[in-house]
Amino acid sequence: MQYQSQAVAKLYFTAAIGLFAGQILFGLILGLQYVVGDFLFPEIPFNVARMVHTNLLIVWILFGFMGAAYYLVPEEAERELHSPGLAVLMFWVFLVAGALTILGYLLVPYSGLAKMTGNDLLPTMGREFLEQPTITKIGIVIVALAFLYNIGMTILSGRKTVVNLVLLIGLAGLAVLFLFAFYNPDNLVEDKLYWWWVVHLWVEGVWELILGSILAFVLIKTTGVDREVIEKWLYVIIAMTLITGIIGTGHHYYWIGTPEYWQWWGSVFSALEPIPFFMMTVFAFNMVNRRRRNHLNKVAVLWALGTAVMAFLGAGVWGFLHTLSPVNYYTHGSQITAAHGHMAFYGAYAMIVLTIISYAMPMMRGRKAANSNRSQVLEMWSFWLMTVSMVFITLFLTGAGILQVYLQRYSDTPLPFMVVQEKIALFYWMREVAGVVFLAGLVLYIASFFVGSKDPEAAVEQAASPTA
Amino acid sequence: MNTDSRNRGRSCTLIYIVLMLLTLVTWVVGRLGLQGLPVTLSVLALALLKGQLIGDWFMGLRNVRGFWRWAILIWLAGVGVLVGVAFFFSSGLH
Amino acid sequence: MTRGGSLPETSRYPPGDLAVWIFILAELAVFAIFFAAYAFTRMQHVALFDQYQATLDRNAALFNTLALVTASYFVVRAVTAIREGRTASARNRLWAAVGMGGLFLLVKGMEYAHHLGEGIRLSTNAFYMFYLSLTFFHFMHVILGILVLMVLAMRTAAGHYSAQSHTDIESGASYWHMVDLVWLILFPLVYVMH
Ligand code: HEM
Ligand code: HEM
Ligand SMILES: [Fe+2]
Repeated sequence: MQYQSQAVAKLYFTAAIGLFAGQILFGLILGLQYVVGDFLFPEIPFNVARMVHTNLLIVWILFGFMGAAYYLVPEEAERELHSPGLAVLMFWVFLVAGALTILGYLLVPYSGLAKMTGNDLLPTMGREFLEQPTITKIGIVIVALAFLYNIGMTILSGRKTVVNLVLLIGLAGLAVLFLFAFYNPDNLVEDKLYWWWVVHLWVEGVWELILGSILAFVLIKTTGVDREVIEKWLYVIIAMTLITGIIGTGHHYYWIGTPEYWQWWGSVFSALEPIPFFMMTVFAFNMVNRRRRNHLNKVAVLWALGTAVMAFLGAGVWGFLHTLSPVNYYTHGSQITAAHGHMAFYGAYAMIVLTIISYAMPMMRGRKAANSNRSQVLEMWSFWLMTVSMVFITLFLTGAGILQVYLQRYSDTPLPFMVVQEKIALFYWMREVAGVVFLAGLVLYIASFFVGSKDPEAAVEQAASPTA
Repeated sequence: MNTDSRNRGRSCTLIYIVLMLLTLVTWVVGRLGLQGLPVTLSVLALALLKGQLIGDWFMGLRNVRGFWRWAILIWLAGVGVLVGVAFFFSSGLH
Repeated sequence: MTRGGSLPETSRYPPGDLAVWIFILAELAVFAIFFAAYAFTRMQHVALFDQYQATLDRNAALFNTLALVTASYFVVRAVTAIREGRTASARNRLWAAVGMGGLFLLVKGMEYAHHLGEGIRLSTNAFYMFYLSLTFFHFMHVILGILVLMVLAMRTAAGHYSAQSHTDIESGASYWHMVDLVWLILFPLVYVMH
């Protein structure tokens, strides 16, 4: 850590990990409710648990992004953060607002929460991922503005690097697109249309810029490859992301009442969205193979490579699977969607946050470059447990999805929804088992912060191993 | 040292004239309202040929080895096959 | 990168920045899919496609093809000039190419005005959906290509490039040729073949 103010990132990362744990607990509750319908009913109904699961996901990823920015921006700009105090203040504002919102979900019926928070004045609630009360949304905007101001001032008055500029554009885009969360037209078609401007243009647009820049930063640091080479890749990846991703929004406009030509626009452009993800994979492996040094923090390199691979699988492969309109006609809103949503979110955004945490946390906790061997090995175990179990979650959901689509929508004698759900319950059980393994991985992950923290730092090794 | 690039310049001028002429041919075919599968496929073939001239001479792939030497040709072949097949099977479907 | 005026040796990589070439391939892939989609959709609606293709202005398309090819030629000549270190002439040729691109936009813009004036929209029918989508997507590329050429012309004038160092110009030139190449397929496909 070269600059004192980078340390604020520690707060953000710690909160991110805590909320991640919460998200997984609610995931397991949901998974059980899928097969044991009245589990925890009426205390925590499925819709509430689902809302908590997905909102915690978004919030912890956002904490992770902000932490990443507070860590890497000063280092790239070669100056202290514009205002560390503001960063700490905003951390607490965001955390308290987040906690109150989650408590609101859990303690008050949703419609009551809407009334309590004055949703009538400016109705924004009730849409997936954007369920937060309007007042929370306003809070998010304030935090985002203060954050952008802080980061922006640091970047603009310091050394300007491509990594920093791309990150800034991504974060600014994230904030600007969130403003569509306040736009809630009565017309249901328009409502959906703009809802995707937040959800799709986030994960398949501006978030990819954030992902690309964090990945580039970690690769520059751990491989020692020339910044110029890495920057060139970043440019091309971003250009491809925007070209394919913006019009690719059309893959959500097939059946919501929008004109038919979206079936063409959406299919053609989104079919190419895997390209930037694929380029990211090639990029990461290429850089690691051309490395000039063997960084002591091996597990951070493992996370970086894992992110590149899993993002490509989850977003690129599983996204492509159902993105062409003739396919999506059958798979829309099925377990195929959930399979893709899980692997893509984990592979791209959960993993990139875990990557930067893995790289930065040791230094913020007083290490020179890396954790002790023991702690790194434990973290590697957690990497494999979480990643492999996520692959299985995805496979089981894909199996469930294929059966669901066939039995309910494709066969000559289509069965009713609930009948099909009964028939594919086995897959849901297996998903739940894989979810428990995931939780075990997460426990090891958290343990890796404590185990071996008294041991000496990992030392230089003579022989270079090619990947990690 | 400039004779080589002069020559190259002259070749490119020639290619340019050929491209302009081939474009006129395509236009005349449209103008005369010529129809039928052979005509259609010839127009397509002309377009692919023009594409290859652009790739070889204008983009300079003539002087490249390996994958990039063939990149444009591969693309043109792909487009040619896809479009050709579609027009082949739709001829006589009026 | 710099291949002065020596013997026409071969190189492993095309002129310009490799990243730009990867980008070009990706762009070509988009257009290829669009072309195939056009052709296969036409299979289902041959009569409709032929009927409405006849409403397009083939003369305008001819003019535009000639304009783009000419622009490409100027770009080729600009690269030749800069390879010989003749900056002023490189700059003039780049501006000439920009002019030709501008003509393309003007004529295409008039075609659009005409169609839109007749009430034709993306939803009118399958043919017009493709005609408008394909040509407009290409139109955006012409705009981008022109912007690139303008920046290159200004930077050439400012003395950024020399016989030894002009990778940017080669990259921009390759991009522009790609825009031209796509149109050379698009023109017969959408305006002529039936
Ligand atoms: C990291 C990037 C990505 C993430 C995090 C992500 C996440 C998601 C999520 C959560 C959904 C479900 C939304 C809902 O609630 O309805 C979804 C839907 C979808 N995604 Fe992605 N996605 C990513 C990239 C992609 C890519 C690259 C493609 C295409 C190649 C794609 C294709 C789709 C399609 C077609 C749907 C709609 C499924 C349906 O009709 O039900 N996604 N995505
Ligand atoms: C570890 C065990 C996990 C289990 C058992 C689990 C279970 C579930 C369930 C049952 C749903 C609701 C699906 C529905 O509405 O039908 C869901 C939604 C979701 N979960 Fe998880 N989850 C887990 C982990 C994760 C992780 C690690 C992530 C991402 C990093 C994640 C991201 C999501 C997303 C994005 C949705 C919304 C999907 C959509 O709209 O299609 N989950 N999860
Ligand atoms: Fe999407």
